[in-house]
Amino acid sequence: MLKDYISQMKGAMGSEHTEIRAQRNTSRRVGILNGDMISNSRSEESGVCARVYRNGVYGFASGAEYSESAVREILEAAQRNAKFMDERTGKGKPALPVIAKGTVEYKPYFSDPEQKAYIDFVREVDAYIARKYPKLVSRRVTAYADSMEKLLVTNDGADGYSIAPRAYVPIVMTANSKDGSTVEMFRVLGAERGGCVDEKFKSVEDFAAEIEQNYEQLMAKAEGVYAEAGVRDVILGPNMAGILAHEAVGHTVEADLVLGGSVAAHLLGKPVASELITMVDFAHTLHDGSPAPLPVYIDDEGTPAVDELIIKDGVLVGYMNSRESAQHFGMEPHGNARAYTFSDEPLIRMRNTGILPGKSKLEEMIASIKDGYYLTDTGNGQADTTGEFMFGVNMGYEIKNGKLGRAIKDTTISGIAFEMLKTVDMLSDDNVWTSSGFCGKKQPMPVGMGGPALKCRINIGGR
Amino acid sequence: MNNREIAEYTLEKLTKLGADAASVGVAHGSTDELNVDGGEFSLMRTLFDTNVGMKVIKDGRKGNISINQTDRQSIDEACATVIASAEQSQPDDAHRIAPFAGREKFTLGVLEPDIGALYDRINEFLRATKQDYPKIMMEQFIAQYERENALYMNTNGTEFEQESGEYSISSMFSAHEGEKAGSFNGADALFTDLKTPLIDLAGHRRLFGESERSLDPVSVDGKFVGTLIATPPLMEVFLYSICANFCSDGVIIDKTSPWIDKLGKTVASSSLTVSSRPYAPDIVCGERFAEGFKSEDMDIIKDGVLKSFVLSDYGARKTGFDRAKNHGANFFVTPGSRSVEEMIAGVERGLIVNRFSGGEPSANGDFSGVAKNSFLVENGKIVGAVSETMINGNFAEMLGNVREISRETEGGGRRVLPWVAFGGITVSGK
Repeated sequence: MLKDYISQMKGAMGSEHTEIRAQRNTSRRVGILNGDMISNSRSEESGVCARVYRNGVYGFASGAEYSESAVREILEAAQRNAKFMDERTGKGKPALPVIAKGTVEYKPYFSDPEQKAYIDFVREVDAYIARKYPKLVSRRVTAYADSMEKLLVTNDGADGYSIAPRAYVPIVMTANSKDGSTVEMFRVLGAERGGCVDEKFKSVEDFAAEIEQNYEQLMAKAEGVYAEAGVRDVILGPNMAGILAHEAVGHTVEADLVLGGSVAAHLLGKPVASELITMVDFAHTLHDGSPAPLPVYIDDEGTPAVDELIIKDGVLVGYMNSRESAQHFGMEPHGNARAYTFSDEPLIRMRNTGILPGKSKLEEMIASIKDGYYLTDTGNGQADTTGEFMFGVNMGYEIKNGKLGRAIKDTTISGIAFEMLKTVDMLSDDNVWTSSGFCGKKQPMPVGMGGPALKCRINIGGR
Repeated sequence: MNNREIAEYTLEKLTKLGADAASVGVAHGSTDELNVDGGEFSLMRTLFDTNVGMKVIKDGRKGNISINQTDRQSIDEACATVIASAEQSQPDDAHRIAPFAGREKFTLGVLEPDIGALYDRINEFLRATKQDYPKIMMEQFIAQYERENALYMNTNGTEFEQESGEYSISSMFSAHEGEKAGSFNGADALFTDLKTPLIDLAGHRRLFGESERSLDPVSVDGKFVGTLIATPPLMEVFLYSICANFCSDGVIIDKTSPWIDKLGKTVASSSLTVSSRPYAPDIVCGERFAEGFKSEDMDIIKDGVLKSFVLSDYGARKTGFDRAKNHGANFFVTPGSRSVEEMIAGVERGLIVNRFSGGEPSANGDFSGVAKNSFLVENGKIVGAVSETMINGNFAEMLGNVREISRETEGGGRRVLPWVAFGGITVSGK
């Protein structure tokens, strides 16, 4: 656990908003390709940073050395940088509003086992796949884990301590397709929530069904056909709905991007989706009372974290804010300002962003489509500040006359979020969350995302 | 301890703990950074960091660790951990520490920054943008000066030292007029002095102009097969994808690359030469050493023939192919003889694409995604910007279908690339 060299610096913080954060990030990785161990690495990154707000500009400094004297030097460097910017810009903005003080702690189970724990499990999974699926052209199994431990003090908000571990095992299978080329299918074991390797990965048998499903999908894709390009009736599976919530909607309602010209600047209070859609950026507890995939109890500006309601019954009702952007928009900050490493400043980031489930059954949704697609898995996604988005589709099926048909080859879907969401006319009554990815925005950041299956019209790429 | 003392101490410690061979890289760096958000100065950052990276081989087993603390206790703990990691791993003869590759010091870039002058250049950039391109909103602009002292040593006697400093900028912006908004666009550049106004770096003027002309896009009806003119920024993205999909460790080791048997054979039109040249004069602070080897310039494709995969030392030893002479960046494509204007005039129907928002390409090179910051060309003329338009193709087929390469290039200190026209790309609108 991080030593506390920063609380004693409160007296030196001055009257302007100041935060000091000590942080330690860890990363562990083991990878096997066709039985050969191609990666076996660990990394640690720790240090301290300070940020000072002065009349509308920030000064920030960070250093790897973490001691009483180093903290003082870093604070002074941040104060100098704030002064440098203030003197040149002369913005003259008012001080940030004071928020609730206190202490917020989040201490879930945490362990940091030796590399052997990762090596043993990866080898077990690899041997299982090699034994059970000899037809594969290639197999790749990786175990990775990361953690962020943070100690925060502020002079006008809450102080905090948190630790956030994650551990996952991605598998990639490759097979020959009927046309002689190769097809891949990947899946992240343990994707639904964070946690540590020893609590999540005890036996490969616990994941046999997921591995089998990955193989079956790969075999189906090996026989797959190209999707027919164009705007089609489509069911996006829960994994796709989650990335839709994050990429296509979430980024456009981050207040810094709103200030930078996002389409959402003109849409607050207006209908942006079908009345079926309610979307929330959850802090630490989901709508059903269960823990969020990656709980956040306090952000890195000292704001205790609560949920941010973004779309309610189809109407855009909120942005995600830092303390500074909340002041600009006359809103309340809800704990979205987060930093990835000790040398990063807090940025407005999503936490666990999802669309709430509806009332339909997936089977009814499929039966309602005469000619379209059911898209189940995505590899990546990007969105524009205009709301135009693109997601890679790693797995999908034709729907013909209300029934699932052939698998399709990898493709892409695209659309304009706030137009496409208005076409949603069915939502499934279940909800799937993932937490294994990183969101990229100047800095990486672990995020959770989720949703139900949703039926919509969308542009699908193909030939 | 200074870098050398840390490196020597670490190697000695690893050897005492039983490493058969080991390497260590030590870097001390500092960064000064100025940020603009929403068109206004927002933040100044000063960062100090260190990194100690260790690799050990013990009984044919490999372990890696990196830390950013340089006190003896932290180094001792990291040494013990990486030795244990290696012991717990499995043996593989392809792992090794690079053999003796010499002792050399490199000094690159600018070692003394002028942050006040950098601030002034940014101010000038913001004013010029507002004046010359009034519809452009600068969502984010980041300017940095980064300084690093790095030392690599291994137990085979190699020592490479590098002292370097560079300025960099990156921008993200979009055009706006009333409630009309265009797609975001961006650019980046590395440079070593502040003689040039920042708006004249990294193609900013071209990109600003194109963004302003994109506010009233035309739609592409249905789909057609036509020509894709890839701009220099898109060419760089495509080249990274092609190297990863066809030439990198994973796909060569597991033999799933469509190019697994193509070394020395034709993989592209004969007009295409792709090289990776960290030593080129246009490149700022290019790679000088990697994995314990001194880096060199290399051809990847020469006159359409595949000359090199982009393999690590491990990948090379595992497959029997040659190790790449560098890690595969700083791309150059040999320019052609026609101007971009002439290239466009020769296109019957197609798109000029500046940015591609696409899924990961398939193992066979199939790709599909949205053409961003792109313009429709019909009968040799630009019809207008497009929105909601997707492109589909296959990288292997595309490289064999190069129609034209421009004589103009764009750089930015990281690459020097022309516009390249490819035939046979499927374009689909709404």
